[in-house]
Amino acid sequence: MVSLASEVEPDRRAPFVARKSTRQAVLIWCFLAPSLLIFLLYRILPLVWNVVLSFEAWSPLKPAIFIGLENYEEMLDDDVFWQALWNTLYVVASAPVGIAIALGLALLVDTDIRGRNIYRTLIFLSYPLMTVAVAIIWRWMFDERVGLFNYVARSLHLVDAPIPFLNSFTWALPSVIAANIWQMLGFYMIILLTGLQNIPGNLYEAAEIDGANAFRRFLRITLPLLRPSIFLCFVIGMLNSVTSFDLVYVMTGGGPGRATEILVTYIYKLGFVQTRFDYAGAVTVVFFVLLLVIAWAANRLSGGNAGAVERD
Amino acid sequence: MRRYPRWPIHLALILTSFVMLVPFYWVFKTSISGENIFNYPPSIIPRNPNLFYYVDVWYAIPFARYFLNSVIVTVLTIAANIVLNAMAGYALTRGFRGKTFILMLFLSCMMVPFQATIIPAYLITAKLGLLDSYLGLALPQFSTIICIFVFKASFDAIPASLIDAAKVDGLSEWRIIWTIMMPLAKSAMATNVILSFIWSWNNFLWPLIMTRSPEMQTLPLGLSRFLSYQEDTTGALYAFCIMVLAPGILLFLLAQKEFIQGLTSGATKG
Repeated sequence: MVSLASEVEPDRRAPFVARKSTRQAVLIWCFLAPSLLIFLLYRILPLVWNVVLSFEAWSPLKPAIFIGLENYEEMLDDDVFWQALWNTLYVVASAPVGIAIALGLALLVDTDIRGRNIYRTLIFLSYPLMTVAVAIIWRWMFDERVGLFNYVARSLHLVDAPIPFLNSFTWALPSVIAANIWQMLGFYMIILLTGLQNIPGNLYEAAEIDGANAFRRFLRITLPLLRPSIFLCFVIGMLNSVTSFDLVYVMTGGGPGRATEILVTYIYKLGFVQTRFDYAGAVTVVFFVLLLVIAWAANRLSGGNAGAVERD
Repeated sequence: MRRYPRWPIHLALILTSFVMLVPFYWVFKTSISGENIFNYPPSIIPRNPNLFYYVDVWYAIPFARYFLNSVIVTVLTIAANIVLNAMAGYALTRGFRGKTFILMLFLSCMMVPFQATIIPAYLITAKLGLLDSYLGLALPQFSTIICIFVFKASFDAIPASLIDAAKVDGLSEWRIIWTIMMPLAKSAMATNVILSFIWSWNNFLWPLIMTRSPEMQTLPLGLSRFLSYQEDTTGALYAFCIMVLAPGILLFLLAQKEFIQGLTSGATKG
């Protein structure tokens, strides 16, 4: 979001309409109030409450006791927490793979070939669908006995025994990530396509006259001008994949062992399976700080120009 | 631009489309299969296709109830979103004291993912006495910041002279919004409807946490519960899956332009 300060115009109306402008201010605040109330209840208050919980020993019946940093100290020795943190970072690191594939697709559907709208629709189709159903679809695709992947691999004699994708410590997390990329691909593609279409065509013509080949044009014109869109994809992709609770919960439940446990599923289990709201609160605080750090780092990498993502 | 051969592009795109569609087909094939779904090798084309699994779903689970719950929660969410977001979006087009603060507040709220608030959100909803109710299911999504900014951008584009003219004619602020500005902000409204539909219809974590009774479960929750009761031993799971996906796919194909526009403008405005 750019130029926040400049949007606030001082009220230049003459004093004799002062009563009217007070009425206006009241009206404006009345209009804002319901939304503000919702955000206060479900965004701001929870955030503060999480921090408070993280310093407490909480139980459903007794009053909470302040225990300082004990919850955080517990986290240091908690192997599951470190595993979940590591898996979450792994998921974040996989976002660029999806974006790279989507960039290739965006370049292809940006050409003037026939049927490009049909291709766009088909590739985008999986994005708005219910993630729980998508997760069940992918469970079935990865099925050990009759899943398509194992069927193809066995028919082509690539493997001797079927791979239990979702029950294997090596394959479970990459399988979940593959399903996530499959669902997000169309969305990345559309964002990047919008970015591509905003690049003025005469830049390419000029470069062609100067003798730059297609690869150099892509490297020198397309990529730099597409940076805001790529950054936007990364932030959205990151937020989407680290919070893909539905996918992990339905596909593997965090297993086998803790192989696909990510922070959001761990927080859920701590809170609502083990009823340890205090410790879950501490893990949530760490999770939230992690998100802020990654967003900040991505912003720096993109040239510190997050405001440029806003386009019309 | 120089001419280039088209067929490699078509080939790559056809292959990608194939990858995007095959998972749907694999599940659909299973759902209408007439044989044991674990027969190896799996048949590519379903043998003696029939709809038995769909009948199973109808009798094994309260599909209609889940569907109704999902519809009620989604309609509540969409209605609240349009009214609340339009009001807030309109307020933000005006200059007032504290506007910068409100804008900063909204922008920083956007950084808070819902998953990071589930525990206090649960406690708050419990204090409000709204656990296991339609209102409690919909309330956290009653207003969304992205959609407020979509409305604001759309209202900003309406010429001020039009509103001044309406004021001269003596229309109240409320009437101006609903009779002049809203009809001119149709695309913002479409974006709002689509985004809140998707967020509410597909929402899983929140219903999972706060519904207790089986008769309050929504479709995604019903689907995941069915999976946990039955594991994936029966083709009925896949029939259920198709029944859940079908309305979404149909809606998307009918209004794909609005969908794509809405989802991307939601993202880029945010």
